[in-house]
Amino acid sequence: MALNPYDTPRGRLQHRLEATRRQFLLLMGGLGALGATIFGSVEVLKFMFPGATNDAPAQFKTDITFTELTGGVDPATKKAMIGANVVAATQAGIAKRVNLVVDDAGIYAVYLVCTHLGCTPNYFPQGVTNGTTTPDGDAKSRGVRSGAEQATNGWECPCHGSRYFIDSTNFYGPAPRPMDWIDVQVAPDDHLVVDRGKLVVVRQPGDNSSPQWRLLLDSKKSNGKTLGV
Amino acid sequence: MSATPGQANPLRAFVEQVWGSIFRHGMPTTDKVAARTALTNFFLHIHPVRVKKSAIRVSYTLCLGGLSFFLFILLTITGLFLMFYYIPSVDQAYQNIKDLQFVAVFGDIIRNMHRWAAHGMVITVWLHMARVFYQGAYKPPREFNWVIGTLLLLTTLLLSFSGYLLPWDQLAIWAITVGTNMAKYAPIVGPYTRYLLLGSNQVAQGALIRFYVLHVIALPLIGFLLMVVHFWRVRKDGFTGGL
Repeated sequence: MALNPYDTPRGRLQHRLEATRRQFLLLMGGLGALGATIFGSVEVLKFMFPGATNDAPAQFKTDITFTELTGGVDPATKKAMIGANVVAATQAGIAKRVNLVVDDAGIYAVYLVCTHLGCTPNYFPQGVTNGTTTPDGDAKSRGVRSGAEQATNGWECPCHGSRYFIDSTNFYGPAPRPMDWIDVQVAPDDHLVVDRGKLVVVRQPGDNSSPQWRLLLDSKKSNGKTLGV
Repeated sequence: MSATPGQANPLRAFVEQVWGSIFRHGMPTTDKVAARTALTNFFLHIHPVRVKKSAIRVSYTLCLGGLSFFLFILLTITGLFLMFYYIPSVDQAYQNIKDLQFVAVFGDIIRNMHRWAAHGMVITVWLHMARVFYQGAYKPPREFNWVIGTLLLLTTLLLSFSGYLLPWDQLAIWAITVGTNMAKYAPIVGPYTRYLLLGSNQVAQGALIRFYVLHVIALPLIGFLLMVVHFWRVRKDGFTGGL
Protein backbone atom coordinates (compact mmCIF):
# COMPACT_ATOMS: atom_id res chain seq x y z
CA MET A 1 0.00 0.00 0.00
CA ALA A 2 1.46 3.26 -1.04
CA LEU A 3 1.71 5.96 1.53
CA ASN A 4 0.80 8.69 -0.92
CA PRO A 5 -2.99 8.65 -1.36
CA TYR A 6 -2.54 10.12 -4.87
CA ASP A 7 -0.35 7.19 -5.89
CA THR A 8 -3.29 4.96 -6.76
CA PRO A 9 -5.15 4.81 -10.07
CA ARG A 10 -8.09 6.67 -8.58
CA GLY A 11 -5.81 9.11 -6.82
CA ARG A 12 -3.83 9.89 -9.97
CA LEU A 13 -7.04 10.55 -11.86
CA GLN A 14 -8.28 12.84 -9.12
CA HIS A 15 -4.96 14.65 -9.11
CA ARG A 16 -5.22 15.21 -12.79
CA LEU A 17 -8.72 16.64 -12.44
CA GLU A 18 -7.69 19.02 -9.68
CA ALA A 19 -7.37 22.59 -10.79
CA THR A 20 -6.99 25.96 -9.19
CA ARG A 21 -9.95 28.32 -9.36
CA ARG A 22 -8.17 30.36 -12.04
CA GLN A 23 -7.61 27.31 -14.19
CA PHE A 24 -11.21 26.28 -13.76
CA LEU A 25 -12.53 29.74 -14.68
CA LEU A 26 -10.17 29.91 -17.65
CA LEU A 27 -11.40 26.53 -18.83
CA MET A 28 -15.04 27.53 -18.45
CA GLY A 29 -14.42 30.87 -20.16
CA GLY A 30 -12.58 29.16 -22.99
CA LEU A 31 -15.32 26.59 -23.47
CA GLY A 32 -17.92 29.37 -23.41
CA ALA A 33 -16.05 31.37 -26.03
CA LEU A 34 -15.61 28.28 -28.20
CA GLY A 35 -19.30 27.44 -27.89
CA ALA A 36 -20.32 30.99 -28.72
CA THR A 37 -18.00 30.99 -31.75
CA ILE A 38 -19.41 27.71 -33.06
CA PHE A 39 -22.98 28.84 -32.43
CA GLY A 40 -22.32 32.19 -34.10
CA SER A 41 -20.69 30.57 -37.11
CA VAL A 42 -23.56 28.17 -37.60
CA GLU A 43 -26.11 30.96 -37.27
CA VAL A 44 -24.22 33.17 -39.72
CA LEU A 45 -24.22 30.32 -42.21
CA LYS A 46 -27.95 29.80 -41.64
CA PHE A 47 -28.50 33.54 -42.11
CA MET A 48 -27.11 33.22 -45.63
CA PHE A 49 -29.76 30.63 -46.53
CA PRO A 50 -33.07 32.50 -46.86
CA GLY A 51 -36.01 30.60 -45.40
CA ALA A 52 -38.33 31.91 -48.09
CA THR A 53 -37.67 33.24 -51.56
CA ASN A 54 -39.47 35.70 -53.79
CA ASP A 55 -39.51 33.27 -56.68
CA ALA A 56 -42.58 33.38 -58.88
CA PRO A 57 -45.20 30.79 -57.85
CA ALA A 58 -44.56 27.38 -59.37
CA GLN A 59 -48.16 27.11 -60.53
CA PHE A 60 -49.51 29.64 -63.01
CA LYS A 61 -52.34 30.07 -65.48
CA THR A 62 -51.13 30.20 -69.08
CA ASP A 63 -52.38 32.76 -71.58
CA ILE A 64 -53.88 30.09 -73.81
CA THR A 65 -57.19 28.28 -73.44
CA PHE A 66 -57.94 24.62 -73.95
CA THR A 67 -60.09 25.50 -76.97
CA GLU A 68 -57.42 27.72 -78.56
CA LEU A 69 -54.76 25.09 -78.12
CA THR A 70 -56.75 22.16 -79.47
CA GLY A 71 -58.98 23.97 -81.96
CA GLY A 72 -61.80 22.00 -80.41
CA VAL A 73 -62.05 18.25 -79.95
CA ASP A 74 -63.47 16.10 -82.71
CA PRO A 75 -66.36 14.25 -81.04
CA ALA A 76 -65.95 11.23 -83.30
CA THR A 77 -62.20 10.61 -83.08
CA LYS A 78 -61.66 12.31 -79.69
CA LYS A 79 -58.62 14.02 -81.25
CA ALA A 80 -57.69 17.67 -81.42
CA MET A 81 -59.05 19.40 -84.52
CA ILE A 82 -55.79 21.36 -84.84
CA GLY A 83 -53.73 18.22 -85.46
CA ALA A 84 -50.95 16.40 -83.71
CA ASN A 85 -47.61 17.66 -82.44
CA VAL A 86 -48.74 21.26 -82.20
CA VAL A 87 -46.74 23.25 -79.73
CA ALA A 88 -48.06 26.32 -77.97
CA ALA A 89 -44.95 28.41 -77.54
CA THR A 90 -46.81 31.36 -76.06
CA GLN A 91 -44.96 34.44 -74.90
CA ALA A 92 -45.84 33.98 -71.23
CA GLY A 93 -45.09 30.30 -71.60
CA ILE A 94 -41.56 30.98 -72.79
CA ALA A 95 -40.90 33.59 -70.10
CA LYS A 96 -41.96 31.04 -67.52
CA ARG A 97 -40.18 28.23 -69.32
CA VAL A 98 -43.13 26.06 -70.26
CA ASN A 99 -44.28 24.81 -73.64
CA LEU A 100 -47.60 23.03 -74.11
CA VAL A 101 -47.82 20.24 -76.66
CA VAL A 102 -50.97 18.71 -78.07
CA ASP A 103 -50.84 15.36 -79.85
CA ASP A 104 -53.36 12.61 -80.68
CA ALA A 105 -53.33 11.27 -77.14
CA GLY A 106 -53.80 14.58 -75.37
CA ILE A 107 -51.89 17.53 -73.93
CA TYR A 108 -48.65 17.60 -72.01
CA ALA A 109 -46.36 20.36 -70.77
CA VAL A 110 -42.58 20.34 -71.04
CA TYR A 111 -40.59 22.25 -68.43
CA LEU A 112 -37.95 24.03 -70.50
CA VAL A 113 -34.94 23.60 -68.25
CA CYS A 114 -32.08 22.08 -70.16
CA THR A 115 -30.81 19.07 -68.24
CA HIS A 116 -27.24 20.05 -69.02
CA LEU A 117 -26.77 23.34 -67.20
CA GLY A 118 -30.25 24.84 -66.92
CA CYS A 119 -30.71 27.24 -69.84
CA THR A 120 -34.05 27.55 -71.66
CA PRO A 121 -34.20 25.53 -74.90
CA ASN A 122 -36.05 27.23 -77.76
CA TYR A 123 -38.82 25.54 -79.72
CA PHE A 124 -38.20 25.08 -83.44
CA PRO A 125 -41.09 23.92 -85.63
CA GLN A 126 -38.59 22.41 -88.04
CA GLY A 127 -34.94 21.77 -88.58
CA VAL A 128 -33.98 20.38 -85.21
CA THR A 129 -31.45 17.92 -86.48
CA ASN A 130 -28.02 17.05 -85.23
CA GLY A 131 -26.53 18.72 -88.28
CA THR A 132 -24.73 15.64 -89.53
CA THR A 133 -27.37 12.97 -89.99
CA THR A 134 -31.06 13.17 -90.60
CA PRO A 135 -33.17 13.08 -87.47
CA ASP A 136 -34.87 10.02 -88.89
CA GLY A 137 -31.62 8.15 -89.11
CA ASP A 138 -30.53 9.39 -85.75
CA ALA A 139 -33.77 8.32 -84.17
CA LYS A 140 -33.70 4.96 -85.82
CA SER A 141 -30.17 4.38 -84.63
CA ARG A 142 -31.56 4.47 -81.12
CA GLY A 143 -34.08 1.88 -82.21
CA VAL A 144 -37.15 3.04 -80.33
CA ARG A 145 -38.69 5.88 -82.25
CA SER A 146 -42.07 5.63 -83.91
CA GLY A 147 -42.78 7.61 -87.04
CA ALA A 148 -44.54 10.48 -85.34
CA GLU A 149 -41.69 10.95 -82.89
CA GLN A 150 -39.13 11.32 -85.62
CA ALA A 151 -40.66 14.63 -86.57
CA THR A 152 -38.07 17.32 -86.96
CA ASN A 153 -39.73 19.72 -84.56
CA GLY A 154 -38.36 19.98 -81.06
CA TRP A 155 -36.17 22.09 -78.82
CA GLU A 156 -32.64 23.32 -79.06
CA CYS A 157 -30.73 24.88 -76.20
CA PRO A 158 -28.96 28.17 -77.11
CA CYS A 159 -26.20 27.69 -74.54
CA HIS A 160 -24.43 24.52 -75.63
CA GLY A 161 -26.62 23.18 -78.41
CA SER A 162 -28.43 20.26 -76.72
CA ARG A 163 -31.40 19.13 -78.81
CA TYR A 164 -34.62 17.42 -77.85
CA PHE A 165 -37.38 15.60 -79.69
CA ILE A 166 -40.98 16.74 -79.30
CA ASP A 167 -41.43 14.30 -76.39
CA SER A 168 -38.46 16.07 -74.72
CA THR A 169 -36.06 13.16 -75.25
CA ASN A 170 -32.52 14.43 -75.76
CA PHE A 171 -30.78 13.25 -78.91
CA TYR A 172 -27.82 15.55 -79.45
CA GLY A 173 -25.40 17.66 -77.46
CA PRO A 174 -24.28 17.51 -73.85
CA ALA A 175 -27.69 17.12 -72.18
CA PRO A 176 -27.54 13.93 -70.11
CA ARG A 177 -31.28 13.13 -69.97
CA PRO A 178 -34.69 14.24 -71.27
CA MET A 179 -36.40 17.37 -70.02
CA ASP A 180 -39.11 16.90 -67.39
CA TRP A 181 -42.84 17.12 -67.92
CA ILE A 182 -45.08 19.01 -65.53
CA ASP A 183 -48.72 18.85 -64.52
CA VAL A 184 -51.39 20.52 -66.70
CA GLN A 185 -54.99 21.15 -65.73
CA VAL A 186 -57.91 23.00 -67.27
CA ALA A 187 -59.20 25.91 -65.20
CA PRO A 188 -62.98 26.62 -65.02
CA ASP A 189 -62.44 29.54 -67.42
CA ASP A 190 -60.93 27.11 -69.97
CA HIS A 191 -57.36 28.40 -69.51
CA LEU A 192 -54.68 25.81 -69.03
CA VAL A 193 -52.95 25.83 -65.65
CA VAL A 194 -49.47 24.36 -65.29
CA ASP A 195 -47.59 23.59 -62.10
CA ARG A 196 -43.80 23.68 -62.34
CA GLY A 197 -43.61 22.31 -58.82
CA LYS A 198 -45.36 19.10 -59.80
CA LEU A 199 -43.29 16.95 -62.11
CA VAL A 200 -45.21 14.13 -63.79
CA VAL A 201 -42.49 12.66 -66.00
CA VAL A 202 -38.86 12.51 -64.91
CA ARG A 203 -36.60 10.32 -67.00
CA GLN A 204 -33.07 9.33 -66.07
CA PRO A 205 -30.10 9.27 -68.47
CA GLY A 206 -30.57 6.69 -71.20
CA ASP A 207 -34.33 6.41 -70.68
CA ASN A 208 -35.71 6.98 -74.17
CA SER A 209 -39.14 5.52 -73.50
CA SER A 210 -42.11 7.54 -74.64
CA PRO A 211 -43.99 8.90 -71.62
CA GLN A 212 -47.70 8.07 -71.53
CA TRP A 213 -48.83 10.90 -69.28
CA ARG A 214 -51.47 13.11 -70.94
CA LEU A 215 -54.22 15.56 -70.15
CA LEU A 216 -57.02 13.71 -71.93
CA LEU A 217 -58.94 15.74 -74.47
CA ASP A 218 -62.39 14.30 -73.86
CA SER A 219 -62.48 14.21 -70.06
CA LYS A 220 -60.06 17.15 -69.53
CA LYS A 221 -58.43 15.13 -66.74
CA SER A 222 -54.98 13.61 -66.58
CA ASN A 223 -54.65 9.89 -67.20
CA GLY A 224 -52.33 9.66 -64.19
CA LYS A 225 -49.62 7.72 -66.02
CA THR A 226 -46.69 9.41 -64.34
CA LEU A 227 -43.14 8.22 -64.89
CA GLY A 228 -40.20 8.32 -62.54
CA VAL A 229 -41.80 10.48 -59.84
CA MET B 1 15.90 77.20 -44.29
CA SER B 2 17.55 79.62 -41.91
CA ALA B 3 14.30 81.10 -40.62
CA THR B 4 13.27 79.99 -37.13
CA PRO B 5 9.71 80.18 -35.78
CA GLY B 6 8.70 83.57 -34.52
CA GLN B 7 11.45 85.33 -36.37
CA ALA B 8 11.87 87.06 -39.72
CA ASN B 9 9.13 85.24 -41.67
CA PRO B 10 6.35 83.63 -39.60
CA LEU B 11 4.42 82.43 -42.65
CA ARG B 12 7.38 80.56 -44.02
CA ALA B 13 8.11 79.17 -40.59
CA PHE B 14 4.53 77.91 -40.39
CA VAL B 15 4.72 76.22 -43.79
CA GLU B 16 7.99 74.60 -42.85
CA GLN B 17 6.54 73.33 -39.61
CA VAL B 18 3.57 71.77 -41.43
CA TRP B 19 5.79 70.27 -44.12
CA GLY B 20 8.21 68.98 -41.52
CA SER B 21 5.40 67.39 -39.52
CA ILE B 22 4.34 65.39 -42.56
CA PHE B 23 7.71 64.59 -44.13
CA ARG B 24 10.25 63.62 -41.50
CA HIS B 25 13.14 63.56 -43.91
CA GLY B 26 14.88 65.83 -46.34
CA MET B 27 15.41 65.15 -50.03
CA PRO B 28 16.84 61.62 -50.35
CA THR B 29 20.17 62.69 -51.80
CA THR B 30 22.36 60.49 -49.59
CA ASP B 31 22.04 56.80 -48.73
CA LYS B 32 21.31 57.65 -45.13
CA VAL B 33 18.42 60.00 -45.90
CA ALA B 34 17.10 57.63 -48.55
CA ALA B 35 16.96 54.85 -45.97
CA ARG B 36 15.18 57.15 -43.53
CA THR B 37 12.72 58.11 -46.27
CA ALA B 38 11.67 54.49 -46.75
CA LEU B 39 11.43 53.97 -43.00
CA THR B 40 9.36 57.02 -42.11
CA ASN B 41 6.97 57.35 -45.04
CA PHE B 42 3.79 55.27 -44.89
CA PHE B 43 3.44 54.99 -48.65
CA LEU B 44 7.07 53.99 -49.12
CA HIS B 45 7.40 51.64 -46.17
CA ILE B 46 6.25 48.75 -48.35
CA HIS B 47 9.61 49.02 -50.08
CA PRO B 48 12.73 47.49 -48.60
CA VAL B 49 15.23 50.02 -47.29
CA ARG B 50 17.89 48.60 -49.57
CA VAL B 51 17.38 46.85 -52.89
CA LYS B 52 19.97 45.43 -55.22
CA LYS B 53 19.90 47.04 -58.64
CA SER B 54 19.75 43.62 -60.27
CA ALA B 55 16.62 42.77 -58.30
CA ILE B 56 14.51 45.51 -59.87
CA ARG B 57 15.71 45.09 -63.41
CA VAL B 58 12.63 44.89 -65.63
CA SER B 59 13.29 41.84 -67.75
CA TYR B 60 11.33 39.39 -69.85
CA THR B 61 9.17 38.46 -66.84
CA LEU B 62 7.55 41.88 -67.28
CA CYS B 63 6.73 42.46 -63.59
CA LEU B 64 3.44 40.62 -64.06
CA GLY B 65 2.55 40.76 -60.37
CA GLY B 66 3.04 44.51 -60.46
CA LEU B 67 0.89 44.74 -63.58
CA SER B 68 -1.83 42.74 -61.83
CA PHE B 69 -1.71 45.09 -58.87
CA PHE B 70 -1.83 48.11 -61.17
CA LEU B 71 -4.93 46.67 -62.85
CA PHE B 72 -6.47 46.02 -59.43
CA ILE B 73 -5.99 49.67 -58.52
CA LEU B 74 -7.45 50.70 -61.88
CA LEU B 75 -10.44 48.41 -61.34
CA THR B 76 -11.02 49.78 -57.86
CA ILE B 77 -11.08 53.37 -59.09
CA THR B 78 -13.19 52.77 -62.21
CA GLY B 79 -15.47 50.47 -60.20
CA LEU B 80 -16.03 53.25 -57.72
CA PHE B 81 -17.15 55.49 -60.57
CA LEU B 82 -19.49 52.82 -61.89
CA MET B 83 -21.11 52.50 -58.47
CA PHE B 84 -22.36 56.09 -58.70
CA TYR B 85 -24.71 55.05 -61.50
CA TYR B 86 -25.36 51.38 -60.89
CA ILE B 87 -28.34 50.15 -58.86
CA PRO B 88 -28.39 46.37 -58.26
CA SER B 89 -32.07 45.93 -59.06
CA VAL B 90 -33.38 43.65 -61.78
CA ASP B 91 -35.66 46.47 -62.97
CA GLN B 92 -32.91 49.07 -63.20
CA ALA B 93 -29.50 47.44 -63.56
CA TYR B 94 -29.54 47.05 -67.34
CA GLN B 95 -30.84 50.58 -67.91
CA ASN B 96 -28.22 51.93 -65.51
CA ILE B 97 -25.50 50.39 -67.64
CA LYS B 98 -27.05 51.98 -70.73
CA ASP B 99 -27.13 55.33 -68.91
CA LEU B 100 -23.51 54.89 -68.00
CA GLN B 101 -22.60 54.41 -71.62
CA PHE B 102 -24.78 57.03 -73.25
CA VAL B 103 -25.70 59.61 -70.62
CA ALA B 104 -22.74 59.95 -68.27
CA VAL B 105 -19.79 61.98 -69.53
CA PHE B 106 -16.94 59.58 -70.29
CA GLY B 107 -19.08 56.83 -68.74
CA ASP B 108 -18.51 54.59 -71.72
CA ILE B 109 -14.75 54.94 -71.30
CA ILE B 110 -14.97 54.24 -67.58
CA ARG B 111 -17.07 51.14 -68.18
CA ASN B 112 -14.78 49.87 -70.88
CA MET B 113 -11.70 50.54 -68.76
CA HIS B 114 -13.30 48.44 -66.04
CA ARG B 115 -14.19 45.69 -68.46
CA TRP B 116 -10.85 45.48 -70.24
CA ALA B 117 -8.85 45.84 -67.04
CA ALA B 118 -10.89 42.95 -65.64
CA HIS B 119 -10.05 40.75 -68.59
CA GLY B 120 -6.44 41.94 -68.40
CA MET B 121 -6.14 41.19 -64.71
CA VAL B 122 -7.28 37.60 -65.19
CA ILE B 123 -4.64 37.25 -67.91
CA THR B 124 -1.80 38.88 -65.98
CA VAL B 125 -2.54 36.91 -62.81
CA TRP B 126 -2.49 33.66 -64.77
CA LEU B 127 0.75 34.61 -66.49
CA HIS B 128 2.25 35.72 -63.19
CA MET B 129 1.47 32.31 -61.73
CA ALA B 130 2.90 30.58 -64.79
CA ARG B 131 6.07 32.66 -64.55
CA VAL B 132 6.52 31.82 -60.86
CA PHE B 133 5.92 28.16 -61.62
CA TYR B 134 8.29 27.88 -64.55
CA GLN B 135 11.05 29.73 -62.71
CA GLY B 136 10.57 27.50 -59.68
CA ALA B 137 10.01 30.62 -57.59
CA TYR B 138 7.47 28.75 -55.44
CA LYS B 139 10.24 26.71 -53.82
CA PRO B 140 11.40 27.32 -50.23
CA PRO B 141 11.34 29.79 -48.64
CA ARG B 142 8.41 30.95 -50.80
CA GLU B 143 5.94 28.05 -50.39
CA PHE B 144 3.62 30.08 -48.17
CA ASN B 145 3.54 32.96 -50.62
CA TRP B 146 2.69 30.53 -53.41
CA VAL B 147 -0.35 29.43 -51.41
CA ILE B 148 -1.37 33.05 -50.87
CA GLY B 149 -0.91 33.54 -54.60
CA THR B 150 -3.26 30.70 -55.48
CA LEU B 151 -5.87 32.22 -53.16
CA LEU B 152 -5.37 35.54 -54.94
CA LEU B 153 -5.90 33.81 -58.29
CA LEU B 154 -9.12 32.30 -56.94
CA THR B 155 -10.24 35.71 -55.68
CA THR B 156 -9.50 37.22 -59.08
CA LEU B 157 -11.55 34.56 -60.86
CA LEU B 158 -14.46 34.96 -58.42
CA LEU B 159 -14.35 38.74 -58.92
CA SER B 160 -14.49 38.19 -62.66
CA PHE B 161 -17.38 35.72 -62.31
CA SER B 162 -19.42 37.90 -59.93
CA GLY B 163 -18.91 40.99 -62.06
CA TYR B 164 -20.23 39.12 -65.07
CA LEU B 165 -23.78 39.07 -63.70
CA LEU B 166 -24.08 42.76 -62.87
CA PRO B 167 -25.01 44.18 -66.33
CA TRP B 168 -28.08 41.91 -66.11
CA ASP B 169 -28.23 41.21 -69.83
CA GLN B 170 -29.01 37.85 -71.40
CA LEU B 171 -25.34 36.88 -71.46
CA ALA B 172 -25.02 37.61 -67.75
CA ILE B 173 -28.15 35.76 -66.66
CA TRP B 174 -27.42 32.60 -68.61
CA ALA B 175 -23.73 32.62 -67.78
CA ILE B 176 -24.58 32.66 -64.10
CA THR B 177 -27.31 30.05 -64.65
CA VAL B 178 -24.72 27.80 -66.24
CA GLY B 179 -22.02 28.63 -63.71
CA THR B 180 -24.14 27.99 -60.64
CA ASN B 181 -25.53 24.81 -62.18
CA MET B 182 -21.95 23.62 -62.55
CA ALA B 183 -21.52 24.26 -58.83
CA LYS B 184 -24.64 22.16 -58.28
CA TYR B 185 -22.86 19.12 -59.75
CA ALA B 186 -20.47 19.03 -56.77
CA PRO B 187 -21.24 16.06 -54.52
CA ILE B 188 -23.37 16.67 -51.41
CA VAL B 189 -22.72 20.42 -51.02
CA GLY B 190 -23.51 21.25 -54.66
CA PRO B 191 -27.21 22.17 -54.36
CA TYR B 192 -26.56 24.09 -51.13
CA THR B 193 -23.76 26.05 -52.78
CA ARG B 194 -26.08 27.05 -55.60
CA TYR B 195 -28.82 28.12 -53.20
CA LEU B 196 -26.28 30.02 -51.13
CA LEU B 197 -24.92 31.85 -54.17
CA LEU B 198 -28.32 32.70 -55.63
CA GLY B 199 -30.28 33.19 -52.41
CA SER B 200 -33.04 31.55 -54.41
CA ASN B 201 -33.62 28.68 -56.79
CA GLN B 202 -33.25 30.79 -59.89
CA VAL B 203 -31.12 33.66 -61.11
CA ALA B 204 -33.25 36.58 -59.92
CA GLN B 205 -33.08 39.60 -57.61
CA GLY B 206 -31.59 37.58 -54.78
CA ALA B 207 -28.69 36.49 -56.97
CA LEU B 208 -28.08 40.01 -58.28
CA ILE B 209 -27.74 41.62 -54.84
CA ARG B 210 -25.59 38.77 -53.55
CA PHE B 211 -23.21 38.94 -56.49
CA TYR B 212 -23.13 42.73 -56.16
CA VAL B 213 -22.16 42.59 -52.48
CA LEU B 214 -19.55 39.94 -53.21
CA HIS B 215 -18.20 41.94 -56.15
CA VAL B 216 -17.92 45.39 -54.60
CA ILE B 217 -17.19 44.61 -50.94
CA ALA B 218 -16.41 41.06 -49.88
CA LEU B 219 -14.07 39.86 -52.60
CA PRO B 220 -12.08 43.11 -53.03
CA LEU B 221 -11.58 43.22 -49.26
CA ILE B 222 -10.40 39.61 -49.18
CA GLY B 223 -8.16 40.31 -52.17
CA PHE B 224 -6.73 43.41 -50.50
CA LEU B 225 -5.88 41.57 -47.29
CA LEU B 226 -4.29 38.71 -49.21
CA MET B 227 -2.29 41.21 -51.26
CA VAL B 228 -0.99 42.88 -48.11
CA VAL B 229 0.31 39.52 -46.89
CA HIS B 230 1.57 38.64 -50.38
CA PHE B 231 3.64 41.81 -50.76
CA TRP B 232 4.94 41.61 -47.23
CA ARG B 233 6.12 38.07 -47.83
CA VAL B 234 7.72 39.07 -51.12
CA ARG B 235 9.82 41.55 -49.14
CA LYS B 236 10.68 39.10 -46.38
CA ASP B 237 11.57 36.25 -48.74
CA GLY B 238 13.77 38.44 -50.89
CA PHE B 239 14.11 38.86 -54.62
CA THR B 240 15.63 36.43 -57.06
CA GLY B 241 16.63 39.04 -59.57
CA GLY B 242 14.50 40.84 -62.09
CA LEU B 243 10.88 41.81 -61.63
